[in-house]
Amino acid sequence: MKIEQAPPQLDRRAFIQKVLTGSVTGSLLLIYPMGGGDALDMLQPSTIPNIPEQIPGIRDEEYDIHERKFAFIVDITRCIGCGSCCVADKREYNVPDGNYRTWVERYIKDFDDQVYVDCPNGGLDGYQTPRTDIDAPVRDTFFVPKLCNMCKEAPCVQVCPVGATFTTPDGFVLMDSDRCVGCGYCIQACPYSSRFLNPITHTAEKCTWCYHRVRKGLLPACVEVCPTGARKFGSLKDETSEVYKILKGPGVLTVLKESMGTWPALYYLGARLEVI
Amino acid sequence: MSGFHEGSAMLLSNFVLPNDLHVHWSMMIVLYPYITGLVDGAFIIAALYYLFDVKSLKPVARFSLLFALAFLCCATLPLLLHLGRPERNLNMLLTPSPSSAMAGFGYIYAVSMGVLGFIVLFVYRADLVKLKQHSRGIMKLIYRLLTFDCDDLSPRAMALDDRIIKILVGLGIPVAAFLHGYVGFIFGGVKANPTWATPLMPVIFLFSACVSGIAAIVLAYIVIRKFTGKFIDGPCIITCIKTLTGFFILAFSFEMLEVFSHSYLKSGYHHMVEGLLNGPLATSFWLWQVKICSGIPLVLLAIMAFIKLQQPRYNLLAAGVSAILLLQVFIMRWNVVIGGQLMSKSARGYTVFHPEWFDKEGILAVIVVMLIPFVILFILGKIFPFWTEEQNG
Amino acid sequence: MFSNYEFRLIITVVIIGIATGMGFVVKAQLTPDSFGTYGHYRADAIDEEILRPIRHGTNTSCLKCHPYEAAIHLKGRHQTISCEFCHGTYADHVDNGKKIGTLPVKKNTEITTLCLRCHNTEIKARSQAVIKTVAMPEHLESQKVKVTHTCNQCHHVHAPLKYINRAKQITGITESES
Repeated sequence: MKIEQAPPQLDRRAFIQKVLTGSVTGSLLLIYPMGGGDALDMLQPSTIPNIPEQIPGIRDEEYDIHERKFAFIVDITRCIGCGSCCVADKREYNVPDGNYRTWVERYIKDFDDQVYVDCPNGGLDGYQTPRTDIDAPVRDTFFVPKLCNMCKEAPCVQVCPVGATFTTPDGFVLMDSDRCVGCGYCIQACPYSSRFLNPITHTAEKCTWCYHRVRKGLLPACVEVCPTGARKFGSLKDETSEVYKILKGPGVLTVLKESMGTWPALYYLGARLEVI
Repeated sequence: MSGFHEGSAMLLSNFVLPNDLHVHWSMMIVLYPYITGLVDGAFIIAALYYLFDVKSLKPVARFSLLFALAFLCCATLPLLLHLGRPERNLNMLLTPSPSSAMAGFGYIYAVSMGVLGFIVLFVYRADLVKLKQHSRGIMKLIYRLLTFDCDDLSPRAMALDDRIIKILVGLGIPVAAFLHGYVGFIFGGVKANPTWATPLMPVIFLFSACVSGIAAIVLAYIVIRKFTGKFIDGPCIITCIKTLTGFFILAFSFEMLEVFSHSYLKSGYHHMVEGLLNGPLATSFWLWQVKICSGIPLVLLAIMAFIKLQQPRYNLLAAGVSAILLLQVFIMRWNVVIGGQLMSKSARGYTVFHPEWFDKEGILAVIVVMLIPFVILFILGKIFPFWTEEQNG
Repeated sequence: MFSNYEFRLIITVVIIGIATGMGFVVKAQLTPDSFGTYGHYRADAIDEEILRPIRHGTNTSCLKCHPYEAAIHLKGRHQTISCEFCHGTYADHVDNGKKIGTLPVKKNTEITTLCLRCHNTEIKARSQAVIKTVAMPEHLESQKVKVTHTCNQCHHVHAPLKYINRAKQITGITESES
């Protein structure tokens, strides 16, 4: 569970001052032409919403893209199927209906080792009602969040004919929406079904571990909103981060479809045999 | 992989991953291998005559070149209709990824168009020169361009033509093999899909491509000659059918070997593939592809191979077998492309495919795309006559 | 040496060669500049992804301007729940330090539905170690509360045990069963 730090006490004057500063800065930004500058100019603290850094060390240093590594761990024992992650992801990226960058599946096991899996609306509405169509007595139930596995040897990158999907030097598999021709090969090649064709832009799309947030020192949206800490994210350069400690420790971490040889960077804690 | 010991038949919940519900590669992607397959098969007939000197194939040699060219002209159409952003299609030529089979398309297509185009020009040079001398205006200009603006029909020039044709056809065979083989590898190289990931995929595609192309030539030849009231060359049909039989036996054996060896090995997600073939694809695979469209042709081809038939009856059977085999290859492409996507990557369920009528990849679009090559063939026939005078009797 | 015909063929081959060469020149020109910097892709695409507008803030960004809610929320069991999950994204509310819209507040039975999204015991997958769950309407009945009551009539939505604990302090009644 993550605990927020209490914000400093704000009186009315300080509040008005902050708002005015923000408005003035904002209006100045409107006057000064934004174009022509390096994209990295945009990372100046004044242009980021007034949010403290969540991943230590990203903002104050020069970002060396070759030196950075991140880890994402999903703890199945803590997922309650609330669907906050799915809702946050949909809101962060305006994901079209019927397509999912991340989703949560419900697994039900009976005493004959039969597994029943469902995922109503990708988990966007959470799981509000139990399954009524299973006759056998239920032995166990659990939730499995799924998202892009950021494979170190990503099959989607291998098959893209035009170089529209790629692995960055800091380990993120991203999309170049200006280059994508919408052939759908990457969607076929992904063993985890993380990708879809955006019906509006007609290009391929997938979860990016909120790269635009991570580069500004913020956690991915789904990690941010998870109330139980089932999703964990951190920089492996930060030895105080939870993910670093988990990866250093003796806990059992698994990945999905290991036999495919994709070397996912997404780890599962507490995963089960039945999860594919 | 534990938790599956009961097999797919016992699974009571059909679970399709949320992003797997939609079938992305639709009928246009079924059509593209089919069209390039027809090109390959037709080219094999031409290659057998021009390179391997199989004299009995002379009546269809030129026709099969034109047939291949007509279909090759249309090969990009299904792809452009499929792409989400067809206006960016040149990206395939500008930044082709060396690790992607699909990236080869632009360059392989360009080379095969060049090779086939030049083969046609050299084969028809004598006819074109004669046509040039009888024409005027814009047609004369076109013929001048097509004959390298040269009227030389001397024995030395014709001998050079023959050598060039042989070289180009020899070059054309590996190019054609790439043109269709890489499509097979597009599927065979997708480890995420158990129905597609097999080293046999390019081989199966190539052999069934030859089947479809030869069948198309046989059927088109018989139909066109019948409708224009000309005679049908018996030995030619016999040679075509023998070649067809050989390729079909190979293609069918590999198709069945694929299914059988996976069924025996029972490795990986094979129970799901079995569930697919015995479930959603039971009708289109076992009934249509295997029993009707492979079983019947095998019987008919056996009859044609072992029983002495009168030529007209033989020709009728040849046309019938060819029509069924054209259907077989189409259904096989359908089962591979669309059938392969019905199985969800959850390994726990199957989705459904509903062909639309008026979609850009819909049934009407498929019909139009398949008609266009015949229109092109008709136009080509006006410039490059299908048969020589002697063949017209 | 070469006949007229052979000469023309050679010219044709040369023309094709030149055209191919020119084609590769055009290809190099049309390929984007940043292509190939890190690999077979346009490196500028990374910078473009960084420029994507951020829609969610964090709880800290919300609580900076809402100190009253902060004081309650940060002391309660719901301190790990994102404000934005229930109320909407930061980007719909504030832009450049200025308020641009009002975020919705859930009311009445909407609140009950939202609570049950996590706290419904009927969904057996929720470990008691992670979250406390209840069944409705049994929970209301066991607490001797009218079954038409919504959750927020006893539980403060931002700190669900705030009133419960206070009530226990006042009345001296300890937890019987849930």
